[in-house]
Amino acid sequence: MTTPIIKVQQLGKVFSTNDMLTHALQGIELEIQQGEYISISGPSGCGKSTLLSIMGLLDFPTTGKLFFEGKDISQLSMEQTAAIRNKKIGFIFQQFNLIDELSIYDNIALPLRYAKQPTSDKKIKEKVDYCLDVVGMLSKAGRRPTQLSGGQQQCIAIARALVAEPSILLVDEPTGNLDSKNSDQIMATLEALNNQGTTLCVVTHDIRYAEMAKRKVYLLDGRILGQTRFDHQSMY
Amino acid sequence: MRILIRQHKQAWASLKKKPGFVLTVLMTMGITLGALLCAITLNYLLLVEPLPYPDQDRLFVAEHGVTGAKKETKGLAFTYPGLVHLYKSKAAFEQAAIMSYGEDVIVSHNSQPLVNTAYITPELHQILASPLALGRMFEASEAMDTHNPVAMLSYNTWQQEFNGNVDILEQKINIRGVSYRIVGVLAEHFIEPELEEIGRETQVWLPFDFNSAGEGQRQSFGNISGNLKFIGLLNKEVSQSQAVQLLTPLVNDRWQEGVAEISFFKGWSIDMRVRPVKEVMLGQSESIAIMLLAGVVGLVLIACANISNLFMARTAEKQRQMAIQAAIGATKKHLFKAMLAETSILMFMSIILALVIAKSGFYIMQQYLGAVLPRVNELSLNPITFGCAVLVTVVFALFFAKLSTRMINYRALNTTLQSSGKGSGLQVSKKTRQVLIASQVALATVLVFANFSLLKDAVKTINAPLGFTTTNISTLRLNFSSTDSPSQEESIPIMAGIMEKLEALPQVESLSQSGSPLDGFYLRALTNVANNERYTPFLKGADQRYFNMIEQPLLQGDNFTRVDRQDGNNVMIVNQAFAKQLKADGDVLGLQLSMGGPDPHKIIGIVKDIAIPGETAIEDDGSAEYTGVPRAYVASRLGAQTFMLKLKSGQSVSREQLGKLLAEVDSRYAVFSFNSADDILTQRLFSEITTAVTTAVLAGLVFLLAGIGLYGILSYGTQLRRFELGARMAIGATKQHLVTMIINDNAKSVLVGFIGSVVLFALAYIGLSEYIQPFLTWQVLPMIVATLILITLVTLFACYWPLRKYINKPAIFSLRGSD
Ligand SMILES: Nc1ncnc2c1ncn2[C@@H]1O[C@H](COP(=O)(O)OP(=O)(O)OP(=O)(O)O)[C@@H](O)[C@H]1O
Ligand SMILES: [Mg+2]
Repeated sequence: MTTPIIKVQQLGKVFSTNDMLTHALQGIELEIQQGEYISISGPSGCGKSTLLSIMGLLDFPTTGKLFFEGKDISQLSMEQTAAIRNKKIGFIFQQFNLIDELSIYDNIALPLRYAKQPTSDKKIKEKVDYCLDVVGMLSKAGRRPTQLSGGQQQCIAIARALVAEPSILLVDEPTGNLDSKNSDQIMATLEALNNQGTTLCVVTHDIRYAEMAKRKVYLLDGRILGQTRFDHQSMY
Repeated sequence: MRILIRQHKQAWASLKKKPGFVLTVLMTMGITLGALLCAITLNYLLLVEPLPYPDQDRLFVAEHGVTGAKKETKGLAFTYPGLVHLYKSKAAFEQAAIMSYGEDVIVSHNSQPLVNTAYITPELHQILASPLALGRMFEASEAMDTHNPVAMLSYNTWQQEFNGNVDILEQKINIRGVSYRIVGVLAEHFIEPELEEIGRETQVWLPFDFNSAGEGQRQSFGNISGNLKFIGLLNKEVSQSQAVQLLTPLVNDRWQEGVAEISFFKGWSIDMRVRPVKEVMLGQSESIAIMLLAGVVGLVLIACANISNLFMARTAEKQRQMAIQAAIGATKKHLFKAMLAETSILMFMSIILALVIAKSGFYIMQQYLGAVLPRVNELSLNPITFGCAVLVTVVFALFFAKLSTRMINYRALNTTLQSSGKGSGLQVSKKTRQVLIASQVALATVLVFANFSLLKDAVKTINAPLGFTTTNISTLRLNFSSTDSPSQEESIPIMAGIMEKLEALPQVESLSQSGSPLDGFYLRALTNVANNERYTPFLKGADQRYFNMIEQPLLQGDNFTRVDRQDGNNVMIVNQAFAKQLKADGDVLGLQLSMGGPDPHKIIGIVKDIAIPGETAIEDDGSAEYTGVPRAYVASRLGAQTFMLKLKSGQSVSREQLGKLLAEVDSRYAVFSFNSADDILTQRLFSEITTAVTTAVLAGLVFLLAGIGLYGILSYGTQLRRFELGARMAIGATKQHLVTMIINDNAKSVLVGFIGSVVLFALAYIGLSEYIQPFLTWQVLPMIVATLILITLVTLFACYWPLRKYINKPAIFSLRGSD
């Protein structure tokens, strides 16, 4: 077995607000292997987003350990985690989180510009165009995010997540702000990406989309209730 | 009306929930508006308000303008007989008074205090219509040449030196051997015209006849004296320029007669100057007052920008509440009124604080600026202050209310209700924020630069090397309690006795029988015997120990000896500057200079130059150089009555102790003054020290306000961008990326601000060039650089500090949007 991209051990997260403690996550054990397609689902407030942020190094666990490609995250500095987010992780949010002041092109190019190893402008253009092509938005490169529909914006967000060729895409409710037609399209795009080898971890409470994944994780009140694993062995 | 009250109650209730906001507005506006009211009242008093005397617009001061052979002004001061001649001629003036300022010791008083005196003719208080607390003013029976010894006291002297005794009238005081009967006490609210020196208060008024001028001076047309003054009510039909034309020949003809015998004054003349009393009193203060006002207005503008930002942020914060109000039918006018209720409460509280601060400001000015600015004793909260206060309150309340409501997009208010989404709704637009940053930076740059320049000049003067030491040195001057001073022969043994006793004091390290360099020089005309060239260096007497004690190095030749002094040898020591004037190569040992007497003085030594702060040489071309003042020293007589005491470090001697010591030797002697050289120096540097402190405080305030303001704007801007910051962090931006980004984004506004400051300078230069011109030299370049660096640092800090809470936390903190 190769090193998992993400390995979570006995992970817990506690929020404290106004003398009240919320145990958002407790005793989570999870491994994500190269090429997997995992969905995380569960009722609202069960801790899905919290788990995804921690796996995406946007937040830190209160207890337990997180290994990213075998490295213990707790040993890394802020700069190092930023570098991992930049190179290895593609994040897609429910609210798209595009930057309004930048053009579509610049939004997608941004991760490359933050990278430690500088990429030449020519190379950036190649990569951005490629990603735009993947999501079918090549013609919109010069526009601003506010000039696009929600579905289109989410496509751009996917392109931005892909541009640095990350090890894993972490997706939080990608369809939460979209109608069903657009939602289907986004999910189809993601599935196609997985089929081409991209590791995918999608948070959704839409059962239809959760079922599309090859492995399903159910959360309830911050604990993993159960996992299904379809033809796991066939991946190796 | 009821609605109005309700609205104010609501506004008050909503403000109470935001004590931080209220306090910031209150402190910022209160302090700056307080300073503004202070500056406005001062400017009004100095520039507009008439003097508190009847017919003050006809009140003029006449002066002798002494003009040299090349038509250059040698000085503005009367000769004694010239003044008396002018007074007796009664020309051009309906009523006129002459006076001579002095300092004297009241020897009959227990503590023998040194007091400011003025020897006047009776018309003075009649012209001024001086109010009295007790008794009467001088009358015709005390006019010139009556020799009638009476005295008037100032209110403060009566209170402080005589404990406000009600039977003060008919008491007598003894000054220089004359016993004066006190006939009146001036009222507390009497305001003395400050003709000689700003802030000088006359404590005892005496008839002109008794002034301290010696018999020689009273006759001499060759002696000018700065303490002689002429003040009068100009005839109704005579204009200022007519008065000059009338008086000049009258005075000049008499003067020419008087100096006909003295070849030194060949080609010289007197032209009369007639100036309004108000102008004389104002002096240089006009520009100080205007600059103060300009500085304070700048402060108010910065404060205004700060508070605008706060109000706009507050509107943004209250959008939801306003949307609800709009939903239930509030019109734009309603919202404006509600806002106005808030701003007027805040401005009302601020102005109350401002008035309190202005009142304290007047007190501070009266305590500390009395010697720099005239008429500060007249400062009070007057109708002008209150009028300005009301105006300022109304204008600012309306302005802030308008500004706050202007940014409400009334039509979009309802959508605010539906969407609670991130980043939507009301915001202070990016443009507004940029304008605020730019104006903040522009104002701060101008003000800080201006303050720096003033501060630098003041500090330069304060720190200028003197060329001699003042450490542990004090000057003792003696007072002789009789009108006719003892002859040289008589005083030599007495002085020897006094010196013996002084040297025997355990605290005294060494003693010199000469005055301090800080207050001992006077202008003296000298003629080079070799070529008849004339010079006017500063002269003073010095004994053989003088240069040693103050550590002024002798560069060439010899020091005075005791024998020189004993035999009255006509020897002279000059400084380098004077040596250079006399001879280009400065080799002047042996040169003979005449003081007008039969035997000229021979130069025996050359000493290094010294610099006395505040003193300038009068050059022929009217230019004044700070260093290089020509000086000459003659051997002081053995009977000289001024001493310098160098005390052992950490030791002190009291005035009383010295008084006793003098009395033991000869009871006719008392202490006239006993001051440490450092005190005299501080006094001389007073206006520079005041300027330094004021400008440093102002610069500090500007920095504080600009810092707070920039921080407010930038932190608001950063807050608006938190989701964007989060998104950038999620895709791998590091701290450094984000800090650089925020700085880059604001650099443009800061740059615009810097350019704006240049424009402001250009405008100020066009408007106020006569005040600014002297400051414009290449020396301002480092000041500009320092200012730019400081403002940039403040901006960088204001960029980083609000950002720090986002970039030092996990990215999710910024993405989630609640704290
Ligand atoms: N910053 C925070 N401070 C305090 N509590 C928090 C914070 N973030 C999340 N929580 C709490 O943690 C729990 C999990 O939240 P999380 O956002 O992970 O839920 P979720 O499963 O994503 O829900 P949804 O399906 O509605 O998005 C919730 O009870 C939430 O109230
Ligand atoms: Mg969620």
